Amino acid sequence: MNTQRPYLFLLKVTLFALIVSAIPLNSIMLDVSPFWLLLFYTYWLVNFPANGKFFIALILGVLIDIMHGDVLGQNALALIMASVFIDNVKQSFFVSNLSTQQVYVFISSCIYLGFFLLTHLLIHGLTINYYLMAAPFSGALIWPVVRFFLAKCKHQ
Amino acid sequence: MKLLKLFIPILISIFLIIIDFKLSYLNQARQAVASLISPIYMVVDLPRQIYTWIDEQGTSKDRLINKNNNLETEVAKLKAQLQNTYALSLENKKLKSLLGSSYQIKQKKLVLSHVSAISQSRLKKQIIINKGSNHNIKVGQVALGAKGVVGQVSQVMPEYATILIVSDPTQYVPVKNSRNGIYGISQGVAEDRHLLSIDFIEPGVDIKIGDTFLTSSIGGKFPAGYPLGEVIHIEQYKNEPFLHIQLKPIQDTQSLEFVVIVSEAL
Repeated sequence: MNTQRPYLFLLKVTLFALIVSAIPLNSIMLDVSPFWLLLFYTYWLVNFPANGKFFIALILGVLIDIMHGDVLGQNALALIMASVFIDNVKQSFFVSNLSTQQVYVFISSCIYLGFFLLTHLLIHGLTINYYLMAAPFSGALIWPVVRFFLAKCKHQ
Repeated sequence: MKLLKLFIPILISIFLIIIDFKLSYLNQARQAVASLISPIYMVVDLPRQIYTWIDEQGTSKDRLINKNNNLETEVAKLKAQLQNTYALSLENKKLKSLLGSSYQIKQKKLVLSHVSAISQSRLKKQIIINKGSNHNIKVGQVALGAKGVVGQVSQVMPEYATILIVSDPTQYVPVKNSRNGIYGISQGVAEDRHLLSIDFIEPGVDIKIGDTFLTSSIGGKFPAGYPLGEVIHIEQYKNEPFLHIQLKPIQDTQSLEFVVIVSEAL
């Protein structure tokens, strides 16, 4: 595998994550749906050696902020903090079984949600929908599917 | 070095949050990047467009004739209603000139657009429409549905625009009771995507269930007189200076297919 491959794969994964996160859902489904970009980025972070991973998280987060019309930096900060956790458990994540990986994804999703909401609360006050709290659970549940799909894509 | 690699992106994101929230310097950069990623919207909206195209191709001639007849009837009814509005507008103009008022009813340009099937932020109530800066849509313009106000344009791309709907908790709309002219400020309810609340109306003021609130031009954010919501619940909590009034938006955004963007004066 040459050095360009990880970034090419990241580009494809990012495009796919942006498309998936723009798919129309009803309001409740939208709230409980996983943080797609986090799931896809987690896979990339665990499976590919890369430099500047936090800068990449910043850029991807800003893209999501712009696409979703959120405050610039809101998703970026959340994605950076979640990727710090994933980077710290990377070795363990790589060798763990699926259910342990789901726990890691759940924790990283909680970190993402925490920072995402913290920024929102500081800016707009307590104006959140409590269905959002289910997003880390759905992220952990859907992780095996994401992993299977991206593993297939990786080997193509 | 590792800490530096971590803290620089964190500091940049915090800086972006502050700059974007407090100032509007990054709006142009945001618009530019939004234009670059807008093909993603096209990809996501493609199935709906294909479905609409197939549906249009498969529609029988009888059904089209029937639909056309219904639309003609509807147009005739609306024209009749409009005559009454013209008469009122004329009367209003005469009265204004008699009073020597400089206030004038502005003529608006309307742009019809289709609501696209694209998801938006979890924390904001937004919709995407298939008209953008190429169609003269600008940030701040007001979007109307068939029954009332939908929201305000918050982001513009060449072929798409984002509308922040009135039931978003961060969208404040100055409103006026159509029955007695009492003013208030409406805001979306975070826990319920389909409700509005009205703040700053004192207890003892004449508000009844079923009253309709219209937009008010105070602040210049929205044009005056468009229906916003109907009162469904009034409550007064102890030790609180204002009433808790809940409104049901007149324009349902769940099944919204088309919106009209009110553009600048002609």
